[in-house]
Amino acid sequence: MAALEKLNAVFQEVFSNDTIQIKPETTANDIEGWDSFSHITLIVAIETRFNIKFSQKELLSFKNVGDLLNCIEKKTIA
Amino acid sequence: MTFNSLQFALFFILVYLIYLVLHHKAQNILLLAASCVFYAAWDWRFLSLLFISTTTDYFCGLKIHENKDERLKKKFLFVSIIVNLSILIILKYCNFFVTNIVTLLNYAGVRLDLLILKTALPLGISFYTFRTMTYTIDIYAGKMKPTSSYTDYALFVTFFPLLAAGPIMRARDLMPQIESPRKPDLANFYEGSYLIFWGLFQKIFVADNLALIANEVFNSPPPYNGAIILSGIYAFAFQLYCDFAGYSNIARGLGKCMGFDITINFNLPYFATNPQSFWNRWHISLSTWFRDYLYYPIALSKRHWGTWSSVFATIITFTLCGLWHGAAWTFVIWGIYWAILLVIYILIKPSSRKATAERKAQSVSIWHWIKIALFFQLICIGWLFFRAESCSQAIQMLHGLFLNFKIINNPYLIAYGFRITFYVIILLLMEIFQFFKNDQMAVYRSNIFAKAALYIICYYLMILHGAGNGKDFIYFQF
Repeated sequence: MAALEKLNAVFQEVFSNDTIQIKPETTANDIEGWDSFSHITLIVAIETRFNIKFSQKELLSFKNVGDLLNCIEKKTIA
Repeated sequence: MTFNSLQFALFFILVYLIYLVLHHKAQNILLLAASCVFYAAWDWRFLSLLFISTTTDYFCGLKIHENKDERLKKKFLFVSIIVNLSILIILKYCNFFVTNIVTLLNYAGVRLDLLILKTALPLGISFYTFRTMTYTIDIYAGKMKPTSSYTDYALFVTFFPLLAAGPIMRARDLMPQIESPRKPDLANFYEGSYLIFWGLFQKIFVADNLALIANEVFNSPPPYNGAIILSGIYAFAFQLYCDFAGYSNIARGLGKCMGFDITINFNLPYFATNPQSFWNRWHISLSTWFRDYLYYPIALSKRHWGTWSSVFATIITFTLCGLWHGAAWTFVIWGIYWAILLVIYILIKPSSRKATAERKAQSVSIWHWIKIALFFQLICIGWLFFRAESCSQAIQMLHGLFLNFKIINNPYLIAYGFRITFYVIILLLMEIFQFFKNDQMAVYRSNIFAKAALYIICYYLMILHGAGNGKDFIYFQF
């Protein structure tokens, strides 16, 4: 899916690691360097790359990459 | 009834034996009743506050979930947060704020006599209010559904292994365990017993004995000899750690015996080599609570500031974390101290790829051990403020530490050195073993002879050198 690939590219860029392959079940525990500080950078990068804006509630509801992806797709279709 | 008392031992044995023969629903009722008895044994008057928090959040949880209107959802969330925080702030911080306002006004020349609230601090209030707020907040965020069973929810709030001093388990981690049948089998019993035994050893042998040294040092008047202060701080560092980790281990062990999986609260914190690592290892349930419910909302709302959003959120979060520990400036300064260390770390830390490469290269090098030892000194400076009786004592001690450090002709120093070493040596050996195996249960999983030797040694050390019966755990005062 285009969104997943595009999101994966953002992850690879933010964490300086081109071997990253995200899946819907991926969480912060699975990616080296994804901590509370880099999470903010990641969100900003995603919003910039996809040209969307997450609401506060959406941001605090994500449990894994799958939730993030669903939200991105909803916003980019709309 | 502290965990290290005969009354508690009898209480738990009785509850546990009945628990084993009951079916699931009856087990939950038994645990709820036992938890109320446990709390009432401390102070029955504050059961009403537990009841208020429980009932408020039970109803708010249902209302947040069933309402489709976002504004109504938010309203019920605010009711929950305001009720819980008000109880906490009024009972815990009222005097602190009043006293400071009066002092400020005095400086401005205004004399005011304000009423000081004379109430005791309800046991566990800082813990159960934080625990119960995870329920309504997570329901609002769509991370869990509310329960329709009042008694199940009441058990979540009052669960006696967690009641007095945590770990601060999330509703979404503990409610499912309450709501489903548990299988307390022999494996759980053995593992639980090991955790209880090790926790009791940490408390009775290590913490309570080191407390005597720390108290001697911190109760003494100035002028301060830096070397003695350092001994006192080292003693306190291990006292606090073993007191709290011991408590958490006993809590985990009690839960394990009954088939519950209680979250780990400590992960070899003194092996940390940077502030971020330390807070991923120390009082994990609290630091993750602050991260998820304070740091992330603030940092994300200011994300357009770039790195400064993290800096800003970190300063607020850790200042409040310090204040959470107690209504005193020493705790606030301790929190700010960690905020500063973390901010420095955020600004200078290497990129993730470089960090991984470094980590792989140095995992057991001498340089890594030196970093551990050096970072431990930074941790201890924080503990100086945490333990000091007042800000002025902390400053005088810092002065002594850096400008009046005398090692020669100091018999106290040698005595303290030997005693501290005697009390921590087994703990250190255990933890180094766990560190190399990267497994907190490494000793439990090792061969029977090693375990038997350890149990016998620890058992006799507790009997022969254990300091007293039923000394309170430090974190009960929070």
